Amino acid sequence: MLSEIAFYGAIETGLIYGLVAFGIYISFRVLDFPDLTVDGSFPLGAAVAAVLIIGGWNPWIATGAAVLAGMAAGAVTALLNVKLKILNLLASILTMIALYSVNLRIMGRPNVALLTEETVLTPWYNLDLAYHQVPVLLFIVVAVVALILLWRFMKSETGLAMRATGANPRMARAQGIATGAMIVLGVALSNGLVGLAGALFAQSQGAADVTMGVGVIVIGLASLIGGEAVITPSTVVRALLACVFGAIIYRLAIAFALNADVLGLQAQDLNLITAVLVTLAIVLPGVRSSVIGKFTRSKA
Amino acid sequence: MISASDLRLTFGKGTPLENPALRGMSLTVNQGEFVTVIGSNGAGKSTFLNALSGEVLVDSGEIIVDNVDVTKLPTHKRAGRVARVFQDPLAGTCEALSIEENLALAIKRGQRRGLSAAVKRQYLDQFRESLASLKLGLESRLGDKMGLLSGGQRQAVSLLMASLTPSSILLLDEHTAALDPKTAAFVLELTTQIIEEQKLTALMVTHSMKQALEVGSRTVMLHQGQVVFDIAGKEREGLEVKDLLGLFEKQRGLEVDDDSLLLG
Repeated sequence: MLSEIAFYGAIETGLIYGLVAFGIYISFRVLDFPDLTVDGSFPLGAAVAAVLIIGGWNPWIATGAAVLAGMAAGAVTALLNVKLKILNLLASILTMIALYSVNLRIMGRPNVALLTEETVLTPWYNLDLAYHQVPVLLFIVVAVVALILLWRFMKSETGLAMRATGANPRMARAQGIATGAMIVLGVALSNGLVGLAGALFAQSQGAADVTMGVGVIVIGLASLIGGEAVITPSTVVRALLACVFGAIIYRLAIAFALNADVLGLQAQDLNLITAVLVTLAIVLPGVRSSVIGKFTRSKA
Repeated sequence: MISASDLRLTFGKGTPLENPALRGMSLTVNQGEFVTVIGSNGAGKSTFLNALSGEVLVDSGEIIVDNVDVTKLPTHKRAGRVARVFQDPLAGTCEALSIEENLALAIKRGQRRGLSAAVKRQYLDQFRESLASLKLGLESRLGDKMGLLSGGQRQAVSLLMASLTPSSILLLDEHTAALDPKTAAFVLELTTQIIEEQKLTALMVTHSMKQALEVGSRTVMLHQGQVVFDIAGKEREGLEVKDLLGLFEKQRGLEVDDDSLLLG
């Protein structure tokens, strides 16, 4: 079974990936803009925060800078699509590839350790909590704040305009909505959240690494799709809750898979397990409804 | 007042599929006029409407709406002046959003959108009242998703959305064509009612010559990207579909003569 530390660890990373899932919800669901920039903006956020923290900046300001850096990366992807008419998926791949170099430049080396530095978590360790419970508490606060702000935004005039842009761009334009500007704003917001996730991940794991972004998009999608299978996203707030719970469930599933000795899985099997889980998350809702369908028919 | 002068637009210029859609189209619609537009397929009706709304930009010519030159403005910058109902009932509304959210989008047409709540309490009475005027029972379903409504209901709501805030011109693009006859009649009646009540200036494209003569105060026929005839007032009264066909045939005949002159 799962140890207590592994359990809290799974919740902790789950909450961070919940932020990634928020970002992916904005790009994939709200804007219908398949955006792979996140594989670059996650380590970008980590790199910016790590370098600034080492440079003696306040960790919260460093984290804020990571959000801005992520937003800038997202804006580049969106502008490549909106202004230069490059296919959205391709535009995001171009930014993602470019960010690999940018991240190496920012850090000056492939990884930066933060173990001895003061991070956003440091003051929280004074609380009367077990060491592995502290990040969970802080990240719950961050996730709840992000969820409330995003929810309010999506219900605002601008947020509604953004939702219309993704759902029916022609109608949105006819209502006077600058759809191009909405795409830039939305993809920037999305990658800002992913930058935040990267910055928090680096601080809780004690290092930023240039390769830490590999597969973030898949994990985020897994969280989003898995969450939607559990909580039907019929309203904005349900969709956002689905992101967080999806991410936590996903991390717990991974932790169980790696901890179950019977399965004989090891840490290096992580990406394989991810791919299998994403496939299951996509396929299972269909299977479930067909099974339920059979069940109800037999009853009738 | 809306005035289009000498609009020219060619699709696929320099390709084998080159298609001159507008060839010197000129039309002035005065305040309070309700113009019906007819024409065969490819006459340039839809392109003309798209040019007025900004969905396509013309190669040359000038479009003036209430003394403002909008020729080069994109759709969203014209939206405050130009309201539109599409042919496809799915195109004019957002099915993923609720009825009240769709109306909240429309009430801000062409205005700045901020960070305050989109669906404000003070709007709700107005929304309920306008929906009640449709007599479809939608006033009690403000929170329902648009996707739950039928095509006719959605088109009625589209019409309502287009008239929720003032505009210089209302463009109706064969907005009853995709509906069954009964619903089409209902939406058409609603259209004339709204246009009369709010004294709107409107341009309605239609496939039906009968409809073109029955509603509105002026009828314009397009052919090959130009206005071929334009009738209003006394001249239009008592005109029947066969007269219109006669006018059309006459016009076509002239076209053929022109061609033969050219070829000769």
